[in-house]
Order: sequence, then C-alpha cells, then structure tokens
Amino acid sequence: MKSQWHLPGELIHRYATGLLDPVQVMSVETHLSRCAVCRKAVPYDKEWLATGWERIEDLVDRPAPRPVARLLHRAGVPEHLATFLAATPTPARGWLVAVGAVLAFAVTAAHLAGQDPSLAVHAPVPFLTIAPVLPLAGIALAYGPHVDPVHELQAATPMAGSRTLLLRALAVLVPAVVLTSVAAPFLPGPSWLAAAWLLPALALTAGTLALSTRVSPRLAAGGLVTVWLGALAVEGGLAGHVFALFSPAAQALYGIAVPILAAFVHRRRAHLDPGESRWNRL
Amino acid sequence: MEPTVTVRGLTKRFGRTTVLDGLSLELGRGVTGLLGPNGAGKTTLLRTLATTLAPDAGEVRALGLDPSDHVQRTEIRRRLGYLPQNPGHYPHFTAFELVEYVAILKEHADRRERHREVRRVLEETGLTEQSRTRVRKLSGGMRQRLALAQALLGDPGLLVLDEPTVGLDPEQRMRFRALVSRLGESRTVLLSTHQTEDVAALCERVIVMKDGGIVFDGTPGGLAATAAGQVWLSHRPPAASRLFWRAADGRYRTLGARPQDAVPAEPGVEDGYLLLLGESAEVAA
Repeated sequence: MKSQWHLPGELIHRYATGLLDPVQVMSVETHLSRCAVCRKAVPYDKEWLATGWERIEDLVDRPAPRPVARLLHRAGVPEHLATFLAATPTPARGWLVAVGAVLAFAVTAAHLAGQDPSLAVHAPVPFLTIAPVLPLAGIALAYGPHVDPVHELQAATPMAGSRTLLLRALAVLVPAVVLTSVAAPFLPGPSWLAAAWLLPALALTAGTLALSTRVSPRLAAGGLVTVWLGALAVEGGLAGHVFALFSPAAQALYGIAVPILAAFVHRRRAHLDPGESRWNRL
Repeated sequence: MEPTVTVRGLTKRFGRTTVLDGLSLELGRGVTGLLGPNGAGKTTLLRTLATTLAPDAGEVRALGLDPSDHVQRTEIRRRLGYLPQNPGHYPHFTAFELVEYVAILKEHADRRERHREVRRVLEETGLTEQSRTRVRKLSGGMRQRLALAQALLGDPGLLVLDEPTVGLDPEQRMRFRALVSRLGESRTVLLSTHQTEDVAALCERVIVMKDGGIVFDGTPGGLAATAAGQVWLSHRPPAASRLFWRAADGRYRTLGARPQDAVPAEPGVEDGYLLLLGESAEVAA
C-alpha cells in the first residue's frame, strides 16, 4: 500500500541534523524505506557521505593489528609507532623466546652447579656472563642490510637512521631487561646478584649505540660482546672468579658510563645512519 | 627553472673499483631514462640520489637540498619516492601492511589519513584486490607493483626507480608506462632500465652510462639518430659484423658497416644504444 502521508519538513530537518531520539529515528527510517517522496526530501551532504564511505572502507580494509602492536598500543605507545615496532625483525623472529630459553638455561645451570660445593661459588657465572649482552645481540639483529629485508627501502625514508635504530634498540632492550629481571631472582646465592647484571647491560647497550655512530650496529655489538667476554675470562683467570666486574666499584663505573655514553649518542645521533656516515664527513 | 637534481663531479669507489667517475648531470621535470650495461654505475647513481649511499667525492643537490646535511637529507627523504633494485619484503605481511609500514616510515602518523593514502597507491598500481593477500603469495609482477606502490606514497616530487619494469607482463608494463608518464607531467622521474622500448615509449630524455660516466645525454630520437646510416637489413647473415640478429621477418639486422646485398633500415633507440656501447653492447645484443 502506498503511503499518502509524508514526513513534515521540520521532522526531516531534525532527522538529517541528528536531533531525533533513537525511537523517532527508527520510526522515520521505517517510513523512508517505503516512501520515495520523503527519501528525496532528505538532504544529504556529499562530503558527509564521502567520509562515511571512507570510514566503511577503512573498517573493511584495515588489517587487524599484530599482537605485539596491540600490546604496545595498550601500554601507551602511539598506534603508528606500535605498528612500526611490531615489524622490528628481532622480536618478529622469536628473539624473545630465544632470550627466555637462554635465561632459563642459565638459571637451571646455576642451580645444578649450586648443588656441588666445589662449584657453588661459580654457580651464577653463566647468568652474569650472558645477561648483560643479551640486548646487544638483539640490537645487532634489529637494524641493517644483513638482517632487515626491507632495509634499502627503509634507508630512503625520513625515519631512517637514528630514529629507527634507537626505537628498535629500545624495543629490544626493554623486553630483554624485563625478562632478565624476572629470571634473576631465581638465581642461587646472595640477593645482590639478582641486580648485578643491570648496569653492565645498560652500559654495554649505550656503548653499542655510541660505537654505532662509527661502525655498523652488528660490528659494534660484536666488538663489545668480545670485549666483555675477554674481560670476564681475564678476570676469572687472575682472581679465580668474575665478581670483581660486578663489585660496587665496577657498578659505579657502569653507572657513570651510562649517562656519558647516552649524551654522546644524542650528540652524534646524525651519524647513526649505518653505511651513510660518509654523508656527514663530506 | 631550477633543476630538481644537480650532480657535479660525483665519484664513488668500492675498494679499487671506481663505479662513478666524476659524473655530472642536471634533471628537471619529466621522465628521464637511464640506460647502460651491468656495472655501468646506474644503481650506484640512483642509490646516491635516494640518499642511501654516500659518494666519496662530488656535490649532490636533490629538490634544492644538500644530502650531506643530516636535516636536509631527512627533508629530501620526505619528498622522495624510491624503488630500489631489490626492494625486499616481509613475507608474512599483507600487501596493505607492507605499504602501510613504509607509510609509517614516511611519517604518516594519522591512521585514517595513512590508510587513505595506502588505498590510493594500491589502487594506482592495480593492487586493491590483493590488499589482503600475503606478500609471499603474490607473483613477481605483483610484488614489483607493490614496491612501486610504496614509492608513490606521499606524492613525491622526485621519483627514483631502479629497473621498475622487471617482472611485469606486457599489460602491466603498459599500465606502468601510463602511470609513470602521468607522474612525469608534474614531477621529476629518473628510472633505470635495460628495456630500450620503455625508454622509447616513456622518456623524453635518455642518459646512457658506461664505466661510471655518461656517454650520451639527449632525447630517445637523438639516440636513435646516432645510428643513422649504420643499420642494415639483409637476407643472409653478415660475414664480418658481430652486431647482428635475426629479426621477426626472418631478415638479419646488422649494425655498423654495410653487409653485402643489405638495404638501409630505420634506426631505433636500441640500435643507437648498442652502437654507442660497442664491445659492451655485443654482450647485450
């Protein structure tokens, strides 16, 4: 049956401007679905319609955020940076799982050694050796042509260089520190050991970034890991244990080095463009 | 009008090999094709202009900016579209995600605006229907178009495209030519290619490189004209020349000295290019 009654102009205006309550909207829309005359009378804004379609397109096309991106966004990281960090090769390749496995192995080894009185004093050594260099491995695998398949594309964007490297280093450092902090209390021995790795880890990370202003992050990280392992070997050979490298005096040195190295990195951040440092020397 | 790109005395060495040898050029609006055999220095020149490689000596200005200055280099990157020879990809990403990732790197922070831009470039390159397909499942041609899509993000003033037609089928190449010629109306496009047909069809200017230098700089017609009087057609293969091939009509096309019983032929861009490069070109022929 054709409707003889039509919506009053004032009602159409209130409907179009969104001033009706939901029940009235339903009533008006029921009538509009049957009445072509009233449908023609409803004004529509072309721009509003285009925006509406765009929102629908966006909803349909928008990829679901990756779990890591969702987690970071929930933690307060801006949406675009969360998406960017989730694509960092290191976490994407199960690096965190590897870090967890290495730490679990080090803690288990410490417990097993602790059961033997002759080895008990050395029980935490594997953990203390590994924990400070874990972030370095992550940084070495986070940026550069050998580890990132889209490095060449990325290198020609405004985010290339310091911003990408520092963000990715942070994306690697924070979870490594969190995981190590979770594992450390399970170490046998004095309680101070549970925190003894932190400042060396921060100092070595800052040192890697500082060296990356001259050489590639991979080379910088590799060099510092070698220096760290060499220092532990020398100390172990001379003193019979490696604890001098974790003593209060050593911790104070690491504590002083971290801000100095951080300031150095900040000052030379323009050079954190692996393979491109020559631009800055021309 | 000030040129978009100015290069003076550009030199780049890898170890003992000099890849760019004091090269100088200027580029303005329009499409310029870069031809040359492998090892001529084309990719090194393009990487330098794309700011991913620093020269050992010389001066570069792109979009009026100096890439040796960190701030100006970043500004160039904001206004640059770059398709590298090996763009790479994250195989587990969808086409949409990969272009969106590059959009983030190009500082498109607002999600809605970024998604609009990603949809635009995917549509420009005919990949709308593949936007949800994982990159590892795309064909080589589609991946190449995806790489081109990211280069178009943000309406760049300078487009640097390294072998953009590799892997494209004839229809895709035709669409690519239409797209690039349209882009060249309002910006500077520099593309390297091994396809002389692309240069003839698309470029208003062609630069031929050899051994790190420029051996020809002019129009495609001018390059073809360098072969005038040196292109021949015969029914029998020439006895002396090494620059010849059997054409589709069964006759032999010879470049250089006139073979016996040969008739002159209309020279093309490829003829000019091959004759210009001499010994290097014999490999290409």
